[in-house]
Amino acid sequence: MSPSRRPLPLALATAAVLAAGALAPSSAHAAKDKIVVGATLPLTGAEARVGGFFKEGYDLAFEELSKKGGLDVGGKKLPVQLVLLDDTSTQATAVSLADRLVNSDRVDFLLGTYASHLVEAQSTVAEENKIPYVNGGGGATKIYKRGFKYLFGLISPVELLGTTLMQWIDEQQRAGKLPKPAKIALLWENTAHGKDFRKGVSDFAGKSGGAYQIAVDESFELNGKDFGALLGKVKAAAVDLFLVDAHLPDYITMHRQYVAAGLCHKIVTYGARGAEKDAIQALGPENTAYVLSGVWWSPQLAAKPGPSRDFVTAFKAKYGGREPEWFQALAYESARVLFSAIQQTGKVDREAVREKLQATKMQSLLPGGTVELKAQFGNQVQNPFVVQQNQKDGSAPIIFPPDAATGTGVGANPKCPK
Amino acid sequence: MARFVDLAVSAVLLAGLYATMAYGLGLIYGVLRVVNLAHGGVIMAGAYLGWVLHGWVGLDPYASIPIVVAATFLLGVAMYRVLVRHLPRGAAGGPASLLLLFGVWLVLRNAAYLLFTGNDQVIRTSYSTHAIPLLGSWVSVNRLAVLAIAVVTPALLQLLLRRTYLGRAIRAVAQNADSCTLVGIDVQRIYTITFGIGTALAGLAGLLSATLFSFNPGFGASELLKSFVVVVLGGLGSVLGTGLAALILAVVEVFAILVMPSYLTAAVGFVMLVLVLVLRPGGLFGQRVLG
Amino acid sequence: MTRWPAIFPPRAAIPFALVVVALALLPVLVGVTPYERNLFTLTFLMISGALAWNWMGGYLGQVSFGHAALFGLGGFVAARLMLHANPTPAPIAWFLGGVAAGIFSLGAHPMLRLRGPYFSIATIGVGEASRLLFTYWEEFTGGASGLSLPIDIGMKALLYWWALGLMALVVVASFLIRRSTLGLQLLAIKADVDAAADVGVNATFYQDLVMVLSGAVVGLTGGLYASFFAFIEPSDMFGFDRSIAFVLMSVIGGVGTILGPVLGAIVFVLLRQFLLASYPQLYLGLYGLLLILIILFEPLGLTGLGLRVARAVRRRRAGARRVVASP
Repeated sequence: MSPSRRPLPLALATAAVLAAGALAPSSAHAAKDKIVVGATLPLTGAEARVGGFFKEGYDLAFEELSKKGGLDVGGKKLPVQLVLLDDTSTQATAVSLADRLVNSDRVDFLLGTYASHLVEAQSTVAEENKIPYVNGGGGATKIYKRGFKYLFGLISPVELLGTTLMQWIDEQQRAGKLPKPAKIALLWENTAHGKDFRKGVSDFAGKSGGAYQIAVDESFELNGKDFGALLGKVKAAAVDLFLVDAHLPDYITMHRQYVAAGLCHKIVTYGARGAEKDAIQALGPENTAYVLSGVWWSPQLAAKPGPSRDFVTAFKAKYGGREPEWFQALAYESARVLFSAIQQTGKVDREAVREKLQATKMQSLLPGGTVELKAQFGNQVQNPFVVQQNQKDGSAPIIFPPDAATGTGVGANPKCPK
Repeated sequence: MARFVDLAVSAVLLAGLYATMAYGLGLIYGVLRVVNLAHGGVIMAGAYLGWVLHGWVGLDPYASIPIVVAATFLLGVAMYRVLVRHLPRGAAGGPASLLLLFGVWLVLRNAAYLLFTGNDQVIRTSYSTHAIPLLGSWVSVNRLAVLAIAVVTPALLQLLLRRTYLGRAIRAVAQNADSCTLVGIDVQRIYTITFGIGTALAGLAGLLSATLFSFNPGFGASELLKSFVVVVLGGLGSVLGTGLAALILAVVEVFAILVMPSYLTAAVGFVMLVLVLVLRPGGLFGQRVLG
Repeated sequence: MTRWPAIFPPRAAIPFALVVVALALLPVLVGVTPYERNLFTLTFLMISGALAWNWMGGYLGQVSFGHAALFGLGGFVAARLMLHANPTPAPIAWFLGGVAAGIFSLGAHPMLRLRGPYFSIATIGVGEASRLLFTYWEEFTGGASGLSLPIDIGMKALLYWWALGLMALVVVASFLIRRSTLGLQLLAIKADVDAAADVGVNATFYQDLVMVLSGAVVGLTGGLYASFFAFIEPSDMFGFDRSIAFVLMSVIGGVGTILGPVLGAIVFVLLRQFLLASYPQLYLGLYGLLLILIILFEPLGLTGLGLRVARAVRRRRAGARRVVASP
């Protein structure tokens, strides 16, 4: 007798109960009395830190909007509600929850999650269901190369980060502050982010006609613990430029070992991380001096009046005087762009809003000042990055591009002779 | 030549780290024949405890060693008394013990998320980046401290095992638990204490890690996997073997960068793990119970 | 040669067939939202994977913590074939993915000699080494960025029936293996491999057979998974979390049984959704607690619980009958 036969009815009953719990929609709205925007963010798991920051950006945008009463739709002012779920930094959950938001909770539009692989997976749900998906969290170019019409990215391609850094470095080389040819050690975390960064740098070097040689080109695992051997290889290669793409924990670990090993290079960067306050606190300002970073947005852009300043003021007011970083800015801007498109359309119509999103051309806090979502780039913005450099006094002025600069950069780290 | 010395120094320092991580796992398996999958969770707990003490009371991490060790010892005792004790002994307990402790790890992780959020934390002291010159390269003082502890721990453990009654009882239980009751040894008590020592070692490893790396509630997973490699190489239960195995693993991983991309050097350890298990299951040094 | 006797007794076969038919007709007759349908599809896939894992972990007693390597391999092989200049039709790609995973499993032959936790630890090594190697092998897996498949609008709907069909086949296969002579031989090997060899069971052959079948089916599941998400990347496919998921599903449901992995997979997918939506702060801890309680109190998991309840109900009914019957 098969023991598994008896409990079958019991099993089906259990499954039914669970299914009911899992499938029960979290909200139901009959008449159109509000606009519902769904989103997931990695609030736990590997990307939890930045996920939390993105939430701050979304929260601020929605709060500002509700203070204005909502969006003007069909003559009435409709409030806009955010339904935010935790996708735990896993792909399957991000997709399932997006599915749930769209097909069960019946949200009207979607805002994106954070991290390229999550955005890449989740955006397929949006595309299949023909629902606009505006994100500030997926920077990898390949996400936008699939011909999707409903996916919009407010985050410039990571490749451009590598390219922008190289552009500033190139200026220094042309001014004679760096040797020519300059040898590069290129270390990158083995993620979509790191691969794109590497591509940006190596493409630039390849087109430079020999001005740059990549002497070390190695990837490393996220959350690595020991970079001793790798840094030893860098030391042995006697390079001039130390270019790394890393997330915060690896930045801290690697740079500590870098400093402890007595390494010093004329140019040091860790991708987007250099100016992060947590890092400067963990490593000490004397050790992070002259580190370059390329970011999608910097609070220093608030030095001039404009959308950046408005954003920083509002953020500080809501979050007790704390200054925002690029994470909150991109999330905020994604929401703002979506709101603007809905407002312009005047109705809660996904197709019409999609058209308006595609035609977006508005003033923005992003570097460059305006934001456009052009189909030729897969609806991904191509706004420039700003390059910051930590100075000895603890500040981190923007040194590039010139129109956003608040300070001049030090061409070659004066602490490293020759 | 300088390159060689650099790599050798890196390898020795790394070995210290690996050894410290693995001792606890090895001890628990050696005596209880239980694979402590919560090892990673206790490492994480040790790190957070050190961070809390440093942040709230301003206690230097090295000064808080006794507190963290005591606390994680008690945690291990509690884990054993409440949970592990009920597992069937021997091979029958295999997957059950693995999964029970995995469940404990999940609970620990959740607790950390609730208490501290998922943000990366780091302990920063005045000497975090201090280094001293040694053999032509610079060596971080924290790494040296870890190495020192890695060398001292097995020595202390040996003292415990050979010179004290408790130690002899532990060795007896590891050899033949049933006979021990005949000579009046309270086997459960020995198991409890051993488990506690194992988790205390894990907590210590976590505390030391917190001085070197940043950590979050997910910390400990890769450390656990590496510890498996070390413990298996060393012969699942031999403390001395664990230390030597850590050295061999570290040397292989570090020098592998000369012949393969850095990213793949991590795979070398796991390949070694499988090869050793298949070809020489007693570990590189032959199966010894303790010592 | 193995006989195939009354493999599928009517008492089990008929309710099972009814359930399958009901599920097949569900979207057509009753109508489900795409969300519910997709959730079911994912559940069917997980059930297939868990059952296949269980052939090794439950029937044979070799608990593998490295099945993600097979899942990922099958998925990426299928994805590569579908991305080729001459794209392979999805079902064939999935099948070939399964074949590739099955062949890869053969490589683990030397590991089968290991017993108990030694085998498990070895599989951890294989799993991690595979993850690192395949993440590095960009030409095959796309590296850390993964592979994106072209969107096929109808595919997700069709996958419901494909996954249902796969699940039905795997359940039938589970019965086949368990109730045939092969099953007896596996039980013998699980109990004591040396004694089994003494009574003439060709332990090596059968262990290899089960391992290849288990790997092939898990690889097949990986292929369907790839089509379902239209995007896969190595850390998700090959990660330790993925390997642990297979173990969790079988153990929570009841390792070694057939209903076990089915229940476990249902709990894993649906309960996870439920917890994430209602108690996002606690779902990790609740999972851990569930695991602890099951290991301590009911080694046969939810199936064991169900059996106990059924037995208690029967006893009470028998007792009542006795009371009524006596004059």
